[in-house]
Amino acid sequence: MNAETLMTIGGVAAFGITLHWVRRRELREKYAVGWVALASLLLVVGVFPDLLMIFAERTHLSYPAAVLFIALTLIYLFAFAVSVSLTTQYRRNVRLTQELALLEERLRRLEAATSVSRSESTKLDSRESA
Amino acid sequence: MRNLIVMPAYNEEEALPRTVAALDRLPDGFEVLVVNDGSTDGTGAIASRLKCRIPVHVLHLPVNSGIGVAVQTGYRFAASRGGYEYVIQFDADGQHDPEAIVALVERCRRDGLDLCVGSRFLDPNGGGFRSTALRRVGIRFFAALISVLSGTRVTDPTSGLRCAGPLAWRRFAEHYPEDFPEPESLFWCARNGLRVGELPVTMFERQGGVSSIRRLRTAYYMAKVTMAIVFDRLRSQELTTS
Repeated sequence: MNAETLMTIGGVAAFGITLHWVRRRELREKYAVGWVALASLLLVVGVFPDLLMIFAERTHLSYPAAVLFIALTLIYLFAFAVSVSLTTQYRRNVRLTQELALLEERLRRLEAATSVSRSESTKLDSRESA
Repeated sequence: MRNLIVMPAYNEEEALPRTVAALDRLPDGFEVLVVNDGSTDGTGAIASRLKCRIPVHVLHLPVNSGIGVAVQTGYRFAASRGGYEYVIQFDADGQHDPEAIVALVERCRRDGLDLCVGSRFLDPNGGGFRSTALRRVGIRFFAALISVLSGTRVTDPTSGLRCAGPLAWRRFAEHYPEDFPEPESLFWCARNGLRVGELPVTMFERQGGVSSIRRLRTAYYMAKVTMAIVFDRLRSQELTTS
């Protein structure tokens, strides 16, 4: 098996995984766009390996260390973006959890107040009818 | 104006009733808010049935969110209900002395403090239970860090017994650290020109449950809080007290 076949298989797999998760509604289309783009890139490079060679020569990225450095940089940036987005999500979760607890307490208080006033008004009604 | 005692409680079914009952002797004008932080034991049910001479409120966070979030929910409760002057943080596990509550409020009022922390280390003869030796090293480290970076001398930055005035707790209702919030929030107040003070208090060994700072998390705790304080020092002034 050579690198081209591997990349083609990887591209097909990436397509499959992305589609599967979007179908199950466990991956938002917003994020799927990026992953589909990556799958497409893998596929194109797998089918037309010459493109990769031309790119490597033009950018002088023909030695492994440089490629590794670029790949790690991309992974770093992506993971960092995920951390930042998790922080936003966390903050929203906290705010929602707190609001829920505050509203629930308010509702309990209101219910207690209305049940008291309702039982009082029932007493009045029965007295009036008597 | 009333004062609110915020009592975060995570799986404290054992100690909570006694801790709340001990607040019976407080003068009028105090209310207590138990924040049940998504407990998995009977804390929620027990909290709903609590009886005390002073008014008791209960909030149930639907999921366990950590001490910082629980305490902040208390500050948000005070802000949304209104009519509160001082908000006191008080542990549910029976570590803190109810007598200290009135003393903390009086000290804040007398000296115009925005935050007064109950310190175990101010009285050379007293202080009661002062945590383990290893933990005291950590506390001393944070005390030195905060004192050096803010210019305000503190001795017990991890103390969870503290009284916040409106300037401090209204800010806490908006921004408050999520985990291990005490040293960081104290530093924030000191560096933003709020008036911060300490009052000698006596603490007891906890009555039940386990401390939220377990041994394995100590390294994370030290690193996270140190980083948070140093990073906060790099921020510009966030409150203008004029």
